[in-house]
Amino acid sequence: MEESEQVKIEEKIERLWSWGAGTDGQLGTGRLQDEQIPQQLSLSLPSVSSLACGGAHVIALTSDGKVLSWGRGNSGQLGHGEVVNNLLYPKAITSLDNYFITHVSAGWGHSGFVSDSGCLFTCGDGSFGQLGHGDYASHSSPIKVSSFVDQNVAQVACGMRHSLVLLKGCLSNQVYGFGSGKRGQLGVSKDKIKSINLPKVISGFEDEEIVGISANGDHSAALSVDGHLYTWGRGFKGYEDSHLPQCLNSTSKFTKVTLGWNHALAMTGEGKVYMLGGNHLGVLSDLHNARPAKSLFDSREANLEKAPGLDGTKITDIATGAEHSVLVTENGEIKTWGWGEHGQLGLGDDGDRISPVTVNLGYDLNEAASIRVYCGSGFTFALTKP
Amino acid sequence: MSYDDVEIEDMEWNEELQSYTYPCPCGDLFQITKEDLKLGEEIARCPSCSLYITVIYNMEDFTADSNKALQPSKQQPVTVA
Repeated sequence: MEESEQVKIEEKIERLWSWGAGTDGQLGTGRLQDEQIPQQLSLSLPSVSSLACGGAHVIALTSDGKVLSWGRGNSGQLGHGEVVNNLLYPKAITSLDNYFITHVSAGWGHSGFVSDSGCLFTCGDGSFGQLGHGDYASHSSPIKVSSFVDQNVAQVACGMRHSLVLLKGCLSNQVYGFGSGKRGQLGVSKDKIKSINLPKVISGFEDEEIVGISANGDHSAALSVDGHLYTWGRGFKGYEDSHLPQCLNSTSKFTKVTLGWNHALAMTGEGKVYMLGGNHLGVLSDLHNARPAKSLFDSREANLEKAPGLDGTKITDIATGAEHSVLVTENGEIKTWGWGEHGQLGLGDDGDRISPVTVNLGYDLNEAASIRVYCGSGFTFALTKP
Repeated sequence: MSYDDVEIEDMEWNEELQSYTYPCPCGDLFQITKEDLKLGEEIARCPSCSLYITVIYNMEDFTADSNKALQPSKQQPVTVA
């Protein structure tokens, strides 16, 4: 009797697994080493609602609006008010204790936090203006971005050297960009912009309500409430860079988009997954097969392909690292493919895969009501809830 | 196969490593020293994985007067607040 009660209590907790590159402590295992097999973490974390994974750091958001971070901290991206090479275990960001945080993002070396009151805070590397404070300084504690004090921020997305911000209830000026803009990732002007250190509005969404934004590498993306997918920044596999948001020419209605450094995954409401960037998507930029740069007038649809080997299996979540991809099937399986040198595919070796392969967590995921996956540059996290 | 072509102006000078660096998708940094650049080396390697990038630069910027060398963006000191 007591035993079964014990089991019931245990089933009520979130479970967290990590694998891949770990030499900055980003896996939360307490070790500074890569892991090729999923490691179940025994962290005493309060109820985690979501994670954000960056170049080599992780931010955990709890259901009561608190944030914790771990991993690389050499640019102040952990937000603890000090510069540390790495932090092996989650530590609460206490300077945000007076706020209820609702959204977080982790970039290559910077971090963004949004409060329920619509405030945006950023910390970490500011060398390219990606913190949005009007200078190129870096900060080791989250600082409120003053441009948005009278606005209602909903989401932040941090890329390699740039940031995007989505405002709530503000149809005319919804999305902003700042930081490095060399590849067009800011989307604020058709002219080449080296960098800007204050948020600037991105035009082109006047007739759309944007509900989601993403940034990774030098890519940017946005999703509208009607399921339209916009991308801008570095061109995918042989395509030209785009300095303004381009609506993907597709009849599918997308509900989630995630970006790598050379590819993207997009999921539809029916649980289908498409990828941008070519057949060998996620197995590094396939320069041998790269097509000559095409004009954007050539439909970007030609570059959109169904994720391979899924045979109509419905997908419930997606995530992309710099050069690998992860998805969750309706059957409660986690599948990975792409670059695997650091064990980021979790398949027990350092090999690459060209199509999705099931990861063995050593735990029956059918028991979990919710499985979410998150990727940093070269590592992966899975979060299950009962 | 080179992972990417990166212009030297997009690399950052890292004082600690005494190298120009650029983010590697594994999470570490591609690195190349001024001495390598002076010798005409154009491959920047990542110490943690098999990937490397091709650095696009003007060799004369490094072989001539070192004071005239290109000044890329430097990593800013972090304000500890």
